[in-house]
Amino acid sequence: MPSATVNKPRPSELLSRLTSAEPEVKVRALREVKNQIIGNRTKKLSFLKLGAVPAVAGILADSIDDVTENNNCNNTNNFLVQSAAALGSFACGFDAGVQAVLDAGAFPNLLRLLANPNEKVVDAVARALRMIYQSKLAPKYDFLQQKNMEFLISLLNSEKETVSGLGASIITRSCETNLEQKALFDAGILRKLNSLLEGGSLSQRDASLESLATVFRNNPEVISKFAGPEIGRPLSSIIDLAKDRYPRTRLLACMCLIVIRNASPHFLQDIGIKTKLIHILLELLDDPGQVGDEAPFAFSSLIAQKEDLQKLALEANAIDKFHHHIKKGSLHPRRYEGILLALADMCSKLESCRTKFLSLQAKPSQSLEPFKALASNGIHTATKPKPSSSRDQELMLASFVLNLVADALTDYNAGVRAAACICLKSVTRSIQKLSAGYFMNETIVIPLVQLFLDPSTSVQVAALGATSNIVVDFTTSKSIFVQCGGMKQLIQLAKSMESSVRSNALWALKNFVFQADNRLKEGVFSELTASLLSSLIRDPEPSVQEQALALVRNLVDGCINLIEFVFAEDGLILGAIGRQLQCASKAEIGIQGMYALCNVASGNEFHREAVMQLLFTQMGDKNQSFVVKFLQSNDSQLRTATVWTIVNLTCPSSPGAPCRLEKLRNAGIVSQIKNMVNDPCVDVKVAIFFIFRISPCENSARAIYGFRGQLSMSVFIHYSEYKRQEILKQLVFQSSSPLFF
Amino acid sequence: MNKLVMNFLVTEGYVEAAEKFQMESGTEPDIDLATITDRMAVKKAVQSGNVEDAIEKVNDLNPEILDTNPQLFFHLQQQRLIELIRNGKIEEALEFAQEELAPRGEENQSFLEELERTVSLLAFEDVSNCPVGELLDISQRLKTASEVNAAILTSQSHEKDPKLPSLLKMLIWAQNQLNEKAAYPRINDLSNATLEDPTV
Repeated sequence: MPSATVNKPRPSELLSRLTSAEPEVKVRALREVKNQIIGNRTKKLSFLKLGAVPAVAGILADSIDDVTENNNCNNTNNFLVQSAAALGSFACGFDAGVQAVLDAGAFPNLLRLLANPNEKVVDAVARALRMIYQSKLAPKYDFLQQKNMEFLISLLNSEKETVSGLGASIITRSCETNLEQKALFDAGILRKLNSLLEGGSLSQRDASLESLATVFRNNPEVISKFAGPEIGRPLSSIIDLAKDRYPRTRLLACMCLIVIRNASPHFLQDIGIKTKLIHILLELLDDPGQVGDEAPFAFSSLIAQKEDLQKLALEANAIDKFHHHIKKGSLHPRRYEGILLALADMCSKLESCRTKFLSLQAKPSQSLEPFKALASNGIHTATKPKPSSSRDQELMLASFVLNLVADALTDYNAGVRAAACICLKSVTRSIQKLSAGYFMNETIVIPLVQLFLDPSTSVQVAALGATSNIVVDFTTSKSIFVQCGGMKQLIQLAKSMESSVRSNALWALKNFVFQADNRLKEGVFSELTASLLSSLIRDPEPSVQEQALALVRNLVDGCINLIEFVFAEDGLILGAIGRQLQCASKAEIGIQGMYALCNVASGNEFHREAVMQLLFTQMGDKNQSFVVKFLQSNDSQLRTATVWTIVNLTCPSSPGAPCRLEKLRNAGIVSQIKNMVNDPCVDVKVAIFFIFRISPCENSARAIYGFRGQLSMSVFIHYSEYKRQEILKQLVFQSSSPLFF
Repeated sequence: MNKLVMNFLVTEGYVEAAEKFQMESGTEPDIDLATITDRMAVKKAVQSGNVEDAIEKVNDLNPEILDTNPQLFFHLQQQRLIELIRNGKIEEALEFAQEELAPRGEENQSFLEELERTVSLLAFEDVSNCPVGELLDISQRLKTASEVNAAILTSQSHEKDPKLPSLLKMLIWAQNQLNEKAAYPRINDLSNATLEDPTV
């Protein structure tokens, strides 16, 4: 079979020609390499592996020497142009290429060549350098050095677009700190960039917008100086560009305005500009290229954490528009990811947005899909069902759009999978929908649980986040989750090497067992085992310790039998709690630990004595018991938790109470608490009230005004002793309310 | 009006006409006429089926164009394959498809469908009569040529479409709108642009 490429040299052959003594052969080979790699990532990689970059960098270096020795000009320029273009192409959008170019020492040579008299050489070199500066691997530019700043200014002042463009991309890449931003402002760079905005070409305007955004980022001082005495005129040129005819310019202008908005409370806050930005970004979604891919990310940066903007966006039908784009299918993964994250931001705070999202319809052809979900909720689907109630109808509608999300959970792209989980996490913050059982179904749970084994850690963590919300399901049973192996998987993940995976898995477990029935809790505990749980309490990472303690708190809450967990295997867990509380590195650990002890102490005498012993293990040491430390903490939740624990230990119905009270008094704890009668935090005062019912005191009683919407103080006093005990018993079961992600 | 004409000549690439027009009317072109020659050479190469030559010329003009335009690069590679098949070089075409086109599909999943369409040309004995036969039309070459032209213009910060056709479209639309509201002298034949009185 004749070789089709008999005229085409093999890559290795080409490479050897690069070192040929004959200039003709050499330059032809160089040009051939360049033409093979441009646009072709696969070829870039294979030539890279063969060592092409050092060879080309060598040619560049040699040609510079020829320039200085004034050798054959045309030929030399040709070599310079071709080698610079080749190096630039290696570096274009290809980090391994950038690294290779830097490693080959070509960077300083390229910089020197910017001063070359030949235009084509300068163009090629400037482009190559710009490719390098588009990468994270670019060498850091030190703006604070005078000569560097002067060099940068000379670049920006150049007539040539390629050179001024290089100057702008250096700023965009390297300017990071407030100090650097200020230095750039002081050197008059912003004025120069602004003039490029108004009088420059398309590419100069775009480059300028990016650089300005970089200099403005998180720097209200520079922004107000820029917008300064001309009262918003420079800003108005950016605002005008948001309506430019070119989509990329519109996008970059919007991104710049958003940076300004987010950094400074004084600018661009009126409803007009907010609405305008929303509309422009939503319209940019229609662009089929990279601009449309990036638009949803810009949208997210505009609305994230901002309820007023989310409301405006809802009114502008943002959710419908995003949904319309997802429905179209075959999305570029970047765009898919961006839209899912934008939907996540939209639904992060407002119930109205979540309701809107869940009420979206799908295409008619998708009408069969949702019935899978309905079947698992126990609704019979022999024929196409007519929803009998509005709730069923709602469920059916919701399942349409949840199918879309479920599809994204199984996408081949990791970023898309993670974004789908984050979107789900936002939507599942809806307590109303959780209670109605929207999410505990096969369509969502099965793919979600599969993501627990995802190769990407960020996907795992995101899936755990969504799971944490979904398992807080008050009305429907959690059996689907157990059946598809979710619970066992969570426990496996609690053993992960990654601390973020461990702590998030524990968070999900904590929510899973919140007010769950005893059987479920026993199942979790026996799978988890006391030794694993106690080692997690003693985990090196504080966030893991905190979640492990919170899990214990929720496990032992409610029924006395469950309290036995902490005594299993010679009190492994109880011991771990005690040791961890001694050296708690942050308040949250103390809070969860104390509430766990509080719940243990709500059991029987044996339990209370065990807790007592734990609290006093350090007595007699020069170290105070951590109890006093916690009572004196700045954190009101920690003080509250500690007081409640003591309430339980001194509960009047228990025979050992007076004895324990005496010990506490001797340890100075009672007097410490007496000092807290006027604590600024209501919750603390309420808890203290219950200690002093033993030795009632008018002053302390009056210091408390109504608690937690349950009863007012005066009414409470009139209750019988028995009634008071009942209410007391309820209040001392301090279960952890699930913290929503 | 002169600017419109110049804009048209320059965007479409009629260098000599543009030069002549510049001399006669004194209208300045909004782009360096030297670059037009380079751009036209590329366009002509594609239209003649010399895709490899076109690629080399584009890369000499501005290496960034193909490096940052995966869709255009794919279409040029696709055209190369089509030309190989047209010339009956089936072995070479197969190898080219494997070495050059398949990686594009790997790098970018959205190209897979079109890739498959093009490669399916190889499966047919009589290519001019197969379902994807239109790929062999000259119109396909023109499509690719036009895409390259637009990309070069954009890289030079010039608009890729001439203003004149859009203006004519607007004229027709405006006249259609006006038809329902008034009687007025209108242009019915764009090629001679005579104003015709409204029919009574």
